[in-house]
Amino acid sequence: MKFVRPESPEAAASSLGNGSVALAGGTDLVPMLRDGLVQADELVFLRDVVPRGVQSGRIGAGTTLAELEVDPELPQALREACAASASPQLRSMGTIGGNLLQATRCWYWRLRFPCYLHGGDRCHARQGTHREHAIFGNDRCASAHPSDPAAALLALGARLQTTRRELPVADLYRLPTEENRNLTALERDELILELDVPTPDASVYLKAMDRRAWSFALVGVAAARFGAETRLALAGVAPVPWLLENPSALEQSTPLPGTAYKVEIARALVRRALASLPTT
Amino acid sequence: MRIELDVNGEQLEADVWAGESLLYVLRERLGLPGSKNACEQGECGSCSVLLDGELVCACLVLAAQAEGHEVVTVEGLAGAEGLHPVQAAFARAGAVQCGFCTPGLVVTTAHLLERNPDPSEDEIREALSGNLCRCTGYAKIFDAVKLAAGT
Repeated sequence: MKFVRPESPEAAASSLGNGSVALAGGTDLVPMLRDGLVQADELVFLRDVVPRGVQSGRIGAGTTLAELEVDPELPQALREACAASASPQLRSMGTIGGNLLQATRCWYWRLRFPCYLHGGDRCHARQGTHREHAIFGNDRCASAHPSDPAAALLALGARLQTTRRELPVADLYRLPTEENRNLTALERDELILELDVPTPDASVYLKAMDRRAWSFALVGVAAARFGAETRLALAGVAPVPWLLENPSALEQSTPLPGTAYKVEIARALVRRALASLPTT
Repeated sequence: MRIELDVNGEQLEADVWAGESLLYVLRERLGLPGSKNACEQGECGSCSVLLDGELVCACLVLAAQAEGHEVVTVEGLAGAEGLHPVQAAFARAGAVQCGFCTPGLVVTTAHLLERNPDPSEDEIREALSGNLCRCTGYAKIFDAVKLAAGT
């Protein structure tokens, strides 16, 4: 395996694919390389070519979660979602671009069961152990998206600038289909460079976990109010970050026997999040 | 590939495979076994080191990523005059049992007190949340952090 330091974002992007894998902070990728979940002939190191830092609402994709959680310029929901993620050790390395693209924590997938996401014909979690799994979009794959910041950015209506295009963060994600089992719409040779985050009138991120720190969300709820409109987005409830049209959309969820409790938690967190947003 | 690393103020060279973690290189190639290898998933914090002054899990950082940056391990904390105040406090408070988590907790505590010399109980809990201990129940570890903060 080779370790490559590209000259530019374009050079980095064009070298990806065919065994070349992008490496930013490494907090998700390094253990997956070790466990054989990702095969790489070449690691393309992004640190020196992907923008890092925050300037007037634009966030470099290489900015770490630790940097974002303390930036007073940023909306509260994003700062809280970053602060509630992982542990201090991981937030100091993990970048926001990598966080948006992190792989699921589903243990069937991590243990390389021939599951739907790995190209197989069924979701083992649906019949098996699925307490941490999905309540929405779970008919083919019941994994739960692990990113807290992704839910915050979805509620905030953030947009992404990649090496190829600009797109809303909502369009970064897709549910797996028979033909394509990917959970993101990013091309193989496409890199996220920057995020453009609108400033809401008020926003908040609430997270239910098995313990008060260093746990993935059982349910995370981001709420962002822009004038009369409030947008809600959820983490840990679907294979992708989930936009909730309105609180009663929770009644259309499709929980598994082991995830029904998540609907109750989501109802409570949505109620609390909305109540906590100051009104004008 | 050959890389140069600045570890505890010393310029060291090592021949590494591109996929080798900083933890592996510190322990197996540079003779610095203080950082412990436990979960190798970033969950336990036993391998905590400072990279350019930031607290990281050395098991999640490739050695190649650390090239050109300053690494401080638990071996780099004690000075010529003896134990680092955090190490002395851990010993005095009885915060060490099996000892496996101790190097990581010592580095994490030193990092906390460097930035926040008088942390509250909640700030201590948050700062240490990425370090797991299976023996002590944490009470004596928190005692040690407070003791070190007072010295």
